[in-house]
Amino acid sequence: MNKDPYNLVVAGVGGQGNVLGSQLIGTVLVNQGYKVTIGETYGASQRGGSVMSHVRISAKRQYGPLIPPRFADLVIALEPSEAARVLARYGNRNTVAIVNTRPVYSIDVTGGAVHYPETNGLMEKIRSLTSKAYFLDATDRALQMGNPILANIIMIGAVSAAGILPITESNLEKAISEVLSSEKVSVNLKAFAVGKELIASQISRDC
Amino acid sequence: MSGNEGIAQGAYEYGVRLASAYPGTPSTEILEYIGERYPDIKAGWAPNEKVALEVAAGAAYGGSRAMACMKHVGLNVAADPFMTLSYTGVNGGLVIVVCDDPEMHSSQNEQDTRNFAKFGKVPCLEPSDSQEAKDLIGEALRISEEFDTPVILRSATRVSHSMSLVETKPRTEGLRELGLKKDPMKFVMLPAMARKRHPVVEQRLKDVAAFAETFPYNKVIMGDDSLGIISSGITFQYAREAFPNVSFLKLGMVWPLPEKMIRDFASKVKRIVIIEELDPFIEEAIRLMGIKVEGKELTGLCGELSPEKVEKALTGSSKAKSIGPIDIDVPLRPPNMCPGCPHRATFTALKKNKVYVAGDIGCYTLGALPPVGMLDNCLCMGAGIGIASGLDRSLGDLARGKAVAVIGDSTFFHSGMTPLLELAYNGGSTTVVIMDNRTTAMTGAQPHPGTGFTLRQDPTISANIEKLAEAFGFKRIRTINPYNVKDTEKVIGEELEAAEPSLIIARAPCALLKTERILPDKPLKIEAELCKGCKSCINTGCPALEFVKIEEPKEGEKRKGYSKINELLCVGCRTCQEVCKFDCIKEA
Repeated sequence: MNKDPYNLVVAGVGGQGNVLGSQLIGTVLVNQGYKVTIGETYGASQRGGSVMSHVRISAKRQYGPLIPPRFADLVIALEPSEAARVLARYGNRNTVAIVNTRPVYSIDVTGGAVHYPETNGLMEKIRSLTSKAYFLDATDRALQMGNPILANIIMIGAVSAAGILPITESNLEKAISEVLSSEKVSVNLKAFAVGKELIASQISRDC
Repeated sequence: MSGNEGIAQGAYEYGVRLASAYPGTPSTEILEYIGERYPDIKAGWAPNEKVALEVAAGAAYGGSRAMACMKHVGLNVAADPFMTLSYTGVNGGLVIVVCDDPEMHSSQNEQDTRNFAKFGKVPCLEPSDSQEAKDLIGEALRISEEFDTPVILRSATRVSHSMSLVETKPRTEGLRELGLKKDPMKFVMLPAMARKRHPVVEQRLKDVAAFAETFPYNKVIMGDDSLGIISSGITFQYAREAFPNVSFLKLGMVWPLPEKMIRDFASKVKRIVIIEELDPFIEEAIRLMGIKVEGKELTGLCGELSPEKVEKALTGSSKAKSIGPIDIDVPLRPPNMCPGCPHRATFTALKKNKVYVAGDIGCYTLGALPPVGMLDNCLCMGAGIGIASGLDRSLGDLARGKAVAVIGDSTFFHSGMTPLLELAYNGGSTTVVIMDNRTTAMTGAQPHPGTGFTLRQDPTISANIEKLAEAFGFKRIRTINPYNVKDTEKVIGEELEAAEPSLIIARAPCALLKTERILPDKPLKIEAELCKGCKSCINTGCPALEFVKIEEPKEGEKRKGYSKINELLCVGCRTCQEVCKFDCIKEA
């Protein structure tokens, strides 16, 4: 990692497996000797509200749980409008974002009271708030695998393939069996591989 | 580990033999972890925080190390035993874990628990990360036994729900001999005995203050002497990140304070700033010592702090430079009731009856938000029934047949039983709806005395609300399935007309519960051609329903759009089907 502390925000909507995703990443890095602090807010927001985890990674010391505004190095967003919301506050010109393209509409949107931003405009906005943004159809692929919740692991696969954080199949496997259970390893590793594959075309385009 | 895991691990390592709690964010997970991981600790959910503290007090009286856990407002409920427990003291160590919620992520107020420590003349420790959360449980128990006092461990959302590294150790047992010991002069607080105990309490506070001078978790970190920051808990982390090179006095014990240590620190630095969230608790105490400090004029009284806010408070600016105003224009995402939630069905029926609703605390509080908008007040746990009774009896005809109290099952067992008794006792015509979803849903589905299961999922009694109300003297008690919205509407209407108190139990398990499932888990379907676009279903506020606008209407088409069901979210609760006037919602 090129910065200490390295600041990661995992953003999404309640029920998307946000908290678990940040815990798995944290466990992988702790097992490699990093001092990791994760800040969460959950409670009422579990009921379909915005959720956000702050993951702070350091080789030197245990940082506090809150990333200051503009200091995110990486944003993993499980929902595109949440990506924009988080980047507007925590992003800077060097922030990288990995964004799941599938929108989750709030009831104000589904009920027709407010409009959800149009896709291209939203992607443009996310690009303008980052140095590099990757867009993945993670939920679509997770649904093909039979469970939308796997989108969070697909996103972690993408982070790994982009070479942003030192996450590998074997260290993730260990973290999954520690945080979840050994029965869950196989399906999650498949999702991890899907994430690596999904981002590969976008990375090769950069080269 | 999270701070809450650290606290649970601390209970294990330092020999806690009994733990009791009522769920409340951000404290809930402490007892859940104890239930899952540490079979050596006797643990169970109490109906409310007052009982939890009394159960823990009983364990401590018998020589056991004990713990009671609650959120900040839980200590209000437990305030009665707390204040006099200070007089009786303990025997085995007793730690009261209280988790504050600055910024009110999941709370109705942001009261500062340190005031209770001062009020009750009880020591208060405050951890700043998960390691300290664990360690300070050990210190709290040691102080409790050494000074014969209950001790508060004050956490906060950002400690309880943040994760950091913790080193674990094996379990050690408490020091006190276990058993029933008679000592009425100490434990029976009749006036004559209490008068003798009060001076003991005052002397104890002085003794703990002297101990605080050498307490290893009160520590000075000398750096640049132009600025000295006095801080504690999570705010210490923020301050240290914002100003890594200045001098710090970090307090692990925030009551009583180490006066000599503070004076000594003050003499070594040029400027002193107190960084603390919420009330000027440390600041006022230090000002009383006659020491010139800055504090709340810089940091403010409301909400939580952050590294950025601390930096701005002291320097007027922040390294975190804005990259210019950003208009992201994305809609807000307020929380709401889940697809298939039985509360939505009940609220839909209440809305049809056009009533005023005295609310309570639980998932159903979300019924206040649009488009449901059916909760007209919400004060504290268990308040709704009493408030409805007060409205009904004071307003007479102005409220008759128009006011309803709603309360969940767990909240009812927490503090709804006594106001229900008041209602039966004093009469009136209030209608109470108990929204019984068979769990404590808002905090993540904890069992309670009505569910038939304990913390560790062992089978137990299931308290019967109908029989309880009958024993209280209620004559009108009706149990309904709220998903039958039309029937529910009718039953509510009939009970509103009754001239005496009535109780409706709207019983259907939480849509997230895996155990007691009555939902079909098959999505419904809307026949788009039949839909008139009246939005009756949309106005129930179900996240599984979507209104599709018609951009180019066909000739003669009057509707502006039609409703559609998201098959991934719909669990088939039928609430929308019940409110549809055109019979266009069908089983798929």
